[in-house]
Amino acid sequence: MISRLTIRRLVLISIITTLVSLGLMVMGIIFPKPILLVLAMSLGQLFGTLSLALYLLAIVLDLQGVGEHDAIAPHIGFEGEDEERSGSDAKA
Amino acid sequence: MYEIHSIEQLLKLTALAAAVISIIILLWYLVRRPPLGRLTKVMLLFGLGVMPIGVALTGNIAGFEFTLKRQFCGSCHVMLPYTEDAADPSSNSLAAIHSRNHSFGEESCYNCHADYQLFGTMTTKVNGLKHLFYYLTEYANTGPYGEGGKPIHMYKGFQNGMCTRCHSTTAPRWLANQDHAGMLDDIRKGDAKCVDCHSGEKIHPRAFAHGGAGKPPVADASQPGAAKNGGHP
Repeated sequence: MISRLTIRRLVLISIITTLVSLGLMVMGIIFPKPILLVLAMSLGQLFGTLSLALYLLAIVLDLQGVGEHDAIAPHIGFEGEDEERSGSDAKA
Repeated sequence: MYEIHSIEQLLKLTALAAAVISIIILLWYLVRRPPLGRLTKVMLLFGLGVMPIGVALTGNIAGFEFTLKRQFCGSCHVMLPYTEDAADPSSNSLAAIHSRNHSFGEESCYNCHADYQLFGTMTTKVNGLKHLFYYLTEYANTGPYGEGGKPIHMYKGFQNGMCTRCHSTTAPRWLANQDHAGMLDDIRKGDAKCVDCHSGEKIHPRAFAHGGAGKPPVADASQPGAAKNGGHP
């Protein structure tokens, strides 16, 4: 079951992948050696594209209202993942 | 104060600035962990989408620009006998003479060796990937000038078109050379190759003094006389 926690995890994975991607691309710019340039233009951009796709997926899920009723799910007979919800999620 | 002298430097600075902005936004999110409200989503869209795309675009162009430079070619050590000679102001090799020409300059390797056709830039870059593969698999552990590696050769013969796009075969001084005039049709048709006479020893003497095999440069290989027929228009 997709919950709000899943959305936040998607965003977190997206951020980490973007940081890796930026690291590769910046290395290619600062040290323009053949192997680093190839890595920046291949893996760097692959990770960058992947992270943007993950973020957009997270946004789409969020806009669809996924996990909005997690808090009340146990009270209406559904087993949710609400025990995993962080404090910041509750604020949201 | 850092001064910007070329488009490539401007692109690199733009890419680095975009990367820094992106990293700041992402670190802000990781540290503060704000709720995924509208503002956070827009900020993350900039940090995860807009700025990294900017880094990729400007970084790619800057990277491609840098790959045109002799400095880039020389970053694989087996190319040093070629690039050091081309950059040597006292060398009379064809490569050095052309490199001193402003039209070739720092991009002399690319200007002479890039494929001259519709998709020439693309095929040149694909061949560049092959270079990298062979460098890593066959030349990575060779000596400072590629000693111990296999002799270096081109994938395909050097086409006259690489020369005739500048040396049009119509200039009076060029035609005054009896060898040129005698086989003008063959040169224009490509039956006679420019490099048949202006061979590797005259173009890259330091490397070809050893038959193209990786060896330290020979001190006198690039002295006057090495490029006997090298200075014609």
